[in-house]
Amino acid sequence: MDFNLQEDSPEMTEFRKEVRAWMEENMKGSEHLRWSASWSTRENEEEYNFRRGLGEKLGKKGWLFPMFPEEYGGAGLTVDHQFVLETELARYSLNLTHIFYTLARIISPVLLHWGTEDQKREFLPPIARGEIVVWQVLTEPQSGSDVANCQTRAIRDGDDYIVTGQKVMVGHHLPPDVLWTLVCTDPDGKRHENLSWLHIPANLPGVTIQHMHLMMGIKNAVFFDGVRVPAKYLVGGENNGWKVAHTHLELEHGGDGRVGTDPVVDRVVEYCRNHEVGGKPLIDDPHVRDTIADMILEINTVNRMNRRIFWHRFVKEPHAYGGAQFRYYQRMVRLRNGERLQKIMGADALIPDHNVHEVLDFEYVIRSGPGQLHGGGTLDTDRLIFARRAGIGRATKEKAPDTV
Amino acid sequence: MDLRLNEDQEMFKKVAADFVQAEAPTTMLTQQFLKKETFLPDLYTKIAGLGWLGMLVPEQYGGAGLSYLDCGVVFEELGRAPVPGPVFSSGVLAAQIVRDGGSDAQKQELLPAICGGEAIVIPAIGDHGAHWGPETVATTCSQSGDTLTLQGTKRHVYDAEGATAFLCAARGGDGGVSVVLVDRNAPGVTVTPHNGYMVSVSEVSFDGVEVPAASVIGETGAGWDLLDRAAEKAIPLLCAYKVGACQEIYEFTVEYTNERRAFGQLIGRFQRVQDHCVELSIHMDRARMATYETLWELDEGLPAEAGIHESKAAASEGYHQACSYSHMVHAGPGTDYLHPLMVHSVLAHTLYQYLGTPDYHKRRMVDALYPSA
Repeated sequence: MDFNLQEDSPEMTEFRKEVRAWMEENMKGSEHLRWSASWSTRENEEEYNFRRGLGEKLGKKGWLFPMFPEEYGGAGLTVDHQFVLETELARYSLNLTHIFYTLARIISPVLLHWGTEDQKREFLPPIARGEIVVWQVLTEPQSGSDVANCQTRAIRDGDDYIVTGQKVMVGHHLPPDVLWTLVCTDPDGKRHENLSWLHIPANLPGVTIQHMHLMMGIKNAVFFDGVRVPAKYLVGGENNGWKVAHTHLELEHGGDGRVGTDPVVDRVVEYCRNHEVGGKPLIDDPHVRDTIADMILEINTVNRMNRRIFWHRFVKEPHAYGGAQFRYYQRMVRLRNGERLQKIMGADALIPDHNVHEVLDFEYVIRSGPGQLHGGGTLDTDRLIFARRAGIGRATKEKAPDTV
Repeated sequence: MDLRLNEDQEMFKKVAADFVQAEAPTTMLTQQFLKKETFLPDLYTKIAGLGWLGMLVPEQYGGAGLSYLDCGVVFEELGRAPVPGPVFSSGVLAAQIVRDGGSDAQKQELLPAICGGEAIVIPAIGDHGAHWGPETVATTCSQSGDTLTLQGTKRHVYDAEGATAFLCAARGGDGGVSVVLVDRNAPGVTVTPHNGYMVSVSEVSFDGVEVPAASVIGETGAGWDLLDRAAEKAIPLLCAYKVGACQEIYEFTVEYTNERRAFGQLIGRFQRVQDHCVELSIHMDRARMATYETLWELDEGLPAEAGIHESKAAASEGYHQACSYSHMVHAGPGTDYLHPLMVHSVLAHTLYQYLGTPDYHKRRMVDALYPSA
């Protein structure tokens, strides 16, 4: 066993040097713009433009998806390279596929797995190079966790599909280039056999996007009003969408893993060192220390689960229940941490601090706590998936799909 | 990063698993736990024969000189049974105290005997309660010429029954704690097994026990530091043992969800039952991941203090919680003393506070990471 995240085999040492120097060069003057988030509730142009730019520069080198073949926008590198890149970005609290607000981390591996050769050549390079923003657009007013109950219709008409319907609670405050979505291609077909995946350019006539103001921040409603989408943009075959969904949802449901860590504890400690009660810094209060201990234990567990999934994924032995277990636990931990922050700092924790990134902001952690419990499926779906993967009440354990 | 065991470790694991199956099957352990007879001399001799006492001890002292990860793999399998007896308390903890504090002569005399199983040396540390810390040491130690006299009672001593000697923590006239080696058969030593919701725990009294002054291990009056440092080095293996126990509980619990039917279907089809299994898995994996990372840190010579205390908190709490969630799934059948869950449940409660409660170790973890002013 080896838990080292920074030491390499001799052949990787040079590569790490190269990446470290490159990152230093490209982070120069922007060190304050650390932290990754898949989306943000804050419209900070400096941050967005910097990260988008960094994403494009990484993408140009094939480093956003280093293991993808070069013709699809990757660099044709190995899992060891992937690991070096992730750990070097983690030094700036960034990670490869959350550099800017796109869900490329989910969409690209699915395209690689299910796309035709033409689709891969057309769709993958701009996504993998960080040139465009993709949203996943799945939730509907009447189908949240029950995503197979999709009502958005896509009816074949010549060389196109005509798409009509509505998706909700998707994306973020910045506009997308592509909508990656599940549609119903056979309204009279059997459940799970009536769906397909469509890659829909967001600028097609009939697409309307409206902001929704939610507790976690801005998300959107997307309306498809007779949108004509070229039939060649259907991924994975007509009425085969549920199978494609398996790959997609595995990544959405925690199966991707990460090497980065949740930074909130260090900031809590900093706050507690700088704030006094009764002439004593909060950090010396035994109750505060106990609360911090609970946070550390749980966050360390979240981080370790995440690293374990990452490792299993890239050695191509996907962890059967790891993703579902991680997602359930991580979201509960985040919810509990919200309350812990209030225990420690009271109302101070409810005031946003615009001097720190959102992922570090106590107010955001608290406010988004209940909201993040269901993104991509409720806690209850996580536990259902766990049961299938762990073989609880069933003779055969469902296997995790490959996602690399 | 690599989460695989190496070839040697895979072999250790297999040997240990086969041993457990052949020599300490559940049917036998449930009986032994029910009778509270958990020191099994024959089993202990066989374990010594396999070299599992003093696995961490250097070869020059009769040990195997293995790495923490190697030992962890074996302790995990022992925990699955769970194999009772002083494999940890004598073979790891006492051996570590002697290694860290003993003179050359004491090491030469004690370590090979501990590793061979002829000597079973049991730390007897706190007098009252079951907490960990110098304040729990009340037994006194007074010197007259070359003789030390010990007076006091250790309320909860784990694995005392098989002991051939104790490492008794005692306070001298200046209040300092010393570690004193005491023969089990010395006049004035009494071992009284407890008969509560616990196993392998006895009250040990030292009533005017006289030992030679040369019986002190380490520096007189500096015994607490010695005990604390040795415990830190030993604890991760106890954690691995508890991780194995959690793994076993998890597996037989999942199996039960696939056998037991209620309301016309397998109980595993009920989402409430599934939820219990999810929580169980989290406690198991949290203990497992913290423990193995700490074992690795110790092997690499990296700072491990926070990880040690984190692992102890996670493993003690995890073992306890794994039992609770398994009880929720098993209901009535799980409360039968002849069910393997009861063996684990009793042991999980026994070990919960052994060498410090989870809360105590959480505080130590925070102290290691963010020292108080």
